[in-house]
Amino acid sequence: MTEFQILTESILNALVAGLLMGAIYGLMCVGLAMIFGIMKVINFAQGDFMMMGMFVALFFFSTFTQQLVGDFVGPYIAVTLAAPIMFAVGYLVHMALISRVTGSRTAKLDGEGHYAQLILTLGLSLILQNGAMMLLGPYMVTIATPLSSSAWMITPIWDDMLLIFINKARGVAAVISVLVIIAIGLMITRSRLGKSLRAAADNPEASTYMGIDVNNAHRIAFALGIAITAVAGGLLATNYPFQPFVGLEFVIIMYAGVVLGGIGSIIGPFWGGMTIGIIQQMSTLVLPFQLQNSAIFVLFLLVVILRPQGLFGRVSERT
Amino acid sequence: MLKVENLYAGYTDVPVLHDVSVSVEAGQFVSIVGPNGAGKSTLFKTISGTVAPMSGVISFEGIDLRTVTPPKRPHLGIAHVPEGRQVFPSLTVMENLEMGAFTEAGQKNWQTNIGQIFEWFPRLDERRQQLAGTLSGGEQQMLAIGRGLASSPKLLMLDEPSMGLAPAVADFIFDKLIEIRRETGLTILLVEQRVAEALEFADHGYVLETGRVVLEGDHGTLNADDRVRQAYLGM
Ligand SMILES: Nc1ncnc2c1ncn2[C@@H]1O[C@H](COP(=O)(O)OP(=O)(O)O)[C@@H](O)[C@H]1O
Ligand SMILES: [Mg+2]
Repeated sequence: MTEFQILTESILNALVAGLLMGAIYGLMCVGLAMIFGIMKVINFAQGDFMMMGMFVALFFFSTFTQQLVGDFVGPYIAVTLAAPIMFAVGYLVHMALISRVTGSRTAKLDGEGHYAQLILTLGLSLILQNGAMMLLGPYMVTIATPLSSSAWMITPIWDDMLLIFINKARGVAAVISVLVIIAIGLMITRSRLGKSLRAAADNPEASTYMGIDVNNAHRIAFALGIAITAVAGGLLATNYPFQPFVGLEFVIIMYAGVVLGGIGSIIGPFWGGMTIGIIQQMSTLVLPFQLQNSAIFVLFLLVVILRPQGLFGRVSERT
Repeated sequence: MLKVENLYAGYTDVPVLHDVSVSVEAGQFVSIVGPNGAGKSTLFKTISGTVAPMSGVISFEGIDLRTVTPPKRPHLGIAHVPEGRQVFPSLTVMENLEMGAFTEAGQKNWQTNIGQIFEWFPRLDERRQQLAGTLSGGEQQMLAIGRGLASSPKLLMLDEPSMGLAPAVADFIFDKLIEIRRETGLTILLVEQRVAEALEFADHGYVLETGRVVLEGDHGTLNADDRVRQAYLGM
């Protein structure tokens, strides 16, 4: 192989790895977008709810789905089962805690309750991290599937010397992520529930005049956001070792993805997460591994400075 | 149909509304006029529940509204077209209308209602897929009214539909309301600063000043009242 071929091969492999990771990041970001982008609630514990979802999926996998349906399908059934559990967790957490610092109660406060949300969810984050640490210990675990240690190999049509590896677990996770995103996108844009969530976010007072229960809309959006991020976490857990503090790495990526993709959009953050995945993997070509995340922040700062409505945001107000 | 009796309400401990009583019978067109800051919007918000009453009674078709949470009230048949239009900016025109039809009655009669709304406001029909936030003020007002009508209301409450509109556009909106009223016989409670028009078509009118009803009667009585003629009609 020539040097050019070797270079092309590494670039293509980084690009494909970025696309796969990006799809999973994108799903995570869409979960946060429901909460932060649409309902304008700051949830610092989003990454820790993701961690919780990963452990719930692992629990289901190791207690029964592995025996029941095997190593290949078991992880995905476990993740599917974790989704309604995490929805319920989100629903209850909102009812007990988040609703005290959101909605009409805080509309007139300084910063619309964002300070209170920040402090409350930071506390939640610490409780979840340390609670998981006490319960489960600091060990690295994964939802072990043989898919994660095998790859599909493809060669581009123009050069059969080049070899691109697609980790099977990541490939499957990326495909499922995209399918889930499509389902959520349809739900938000087409269904009555989705439209009422957007209306409640747009104008809570007018929504009340339409007969929409705004508090309930907020609760559903929060619970959905937690469940979506948890699904992304569960998919990630099939090919990414994790421990109780895994949320920290990802909460930053999620916020960056939502801001990149455009606050207030639902599909924009998917592309935001995708962009981050690609930049992160591509940067490994030129940067040492430890600096991967700094590439994300350089991009992030550039976007905030040059295009504050986000890469994929649009402006709906008449100017 | 709607009965407000001895209502006190406000945003702080100090009431904005003092001992306000207003009633609307089925089939009536009732207008409330009064200067800025009199408490007209506060009265509407108290009826809809976004402002809580301090004392007094509000009932709709015999149901005590204090026992009905605010988001349930539209389902009883009360449509509130709020001051300043308050359309959903990031939803399309069509989606805004669908949100209007969030009530059971609105869903059941969707096809009929949407046909009628587009007949009254063809402009909305042309702009179905446009984001409501990008509509002009007049178009947003048409949408706000259409959204109210889409709920198949028994009572349509309109808070200053002409506010902030060019005179010609305001005239158009007003003519449409009269047309809608003539064609459907819908019960309407209107708050307006265009006193002459508001009183002309009303079966009954109220004058609200600094949170108190200072005068009420049919349009003959109000038009003949010297204070109304001087303060509001400029005669
Ligand atoms: N959200 C609010 N918080 C506190 N005071 C308010 C609020 N809205 C209106 N007010 C006050 O209540 C009074 C009546 O206002 P409003 O009902 O809007 O009058 P109108 O609709 O007749 O112009 C005014 O003195 C106004 O300053
Ligand atoms: Mg007003």
